[in-house]
Amino acid sequence: MLKNTINGLDKILFDEIPKGSVILVTGAEGTLKSGLVFSMMTNYIAANDEHGLYVTLEQNVESHLRNMNSLGIKEEGGLHIFDYRDMRLEWMDSDLDLIKTTEEVIDSYKEKYDNLTLFALDSLNALYSISENGNMRNKIYNFFSHLRDEDLTSFLIMESAQSRISGQFSQFHQIEHFLADGTIELGMIEGKGGVKRYIQILKMRATKHAMEKHQLTVNDNGINILGPIY
Amino acid sequence: MKTSVENVADLCESSEDNCKKFIDRIIKTNREVFMMSSLLDKQMCGYDLIKEIFSRCDVFLSQGAVYPVLYTLEGEGLLHAEYSKGDMRSKKYSLTLSGRKVAEKDVEDFAKALEQVSLLLKR
Repeated sequence: MLKNTINGLDKILFDEIPKGSVILVTGAEGTLKSGLVFSMMTNYIAANDEHGLYVTLEQNVESHLRNMNSLGIKEEGGLHIFDYRDMRLEWMDSDLDLIKTTEEVIDSYKEKYDNLTLFALDSLNALYSISENGNMRNKIYNFFSHLRDEDLTSFLIMESAQSRISGQFSQFHQIEHFLADGTIELGMIEGKGGVKRYIQILKMRATKHAMEKHQLTVNDNGINILGPIY
Repeated sequence: MKTSVENVADLCESSEDNCKKFIDRIIKTNREVFMMSSLLDKQMCGYDLIKEIFSRCDVFLSQGAVYPVLYTLEGEGLLHAEYSKGDMRSKKYSLTLSGRKVAEKDVEDFAKALEQVSLLLKR
């Protein structure tokens, strides 16, 4: 069960996330978006005989794993990590339709592993920045449909600070939030005790959840969710 | 109004197209065998493999269908990958000892399977 994958996640998520849901994980840089998603996936895969696919556009596999290790998150055999480094070095960006290619990458892994049930894309912003803008709304709609057709519970990471600064992507934001089944926001808040990280579930279709911001911490054992921040 | 000769020509062309469609489907579905078969001769990067299969079979395997297979085969210990000396732009893949055995056996079995399918259809 996904809600048992992070220590304290059951404080904010009261039911299981329905299979095949597409969830946006948003937040500014340094708010542990990648760490949270990767941690949920590795812990889920470790406890279940299933496979997952984590597609990273922002880093290569080695640097992503280094970052995850520094957060106390270990690699899990059934979680396949795919980066575009080789592809982007060998091909011109104009030769690659990265949204279509990502769908094909998913299909390839799904072909190999029948029980591929989890997917993550890190990040949507990177996907947009190296994709042709033409007809992007339709492409996003089709991409979301593809994830649902494959019955993948999917986490799409999206850096919100960048998108606030750059108006370039703002036109797509509405459609993502509208199409997604859930939105998890991560952020930082300044209080008496200094700056604290928080997690808040803004939306999760067909799932009971808390609305409050809860504190998010990281220690040697990985990521933990503590009580609400008032 | 077309002459009968023109109609026959159309039929041949359409049969060729149909044949191409089946070959396309067979190669895409069994791309792992074709990729490993190509690597029996020389080491290649993903780009080289796509180009090689296209020039040999006239079938374009997309990047999203080729790179995951390379990474999976590497993870299974059937392929060895290394960046070319002085060229960090392409990661060249070669078959490991166990990969070569698997590739040779798969190529042989695949050819046999195609022969059997062909015989079954001709009955």
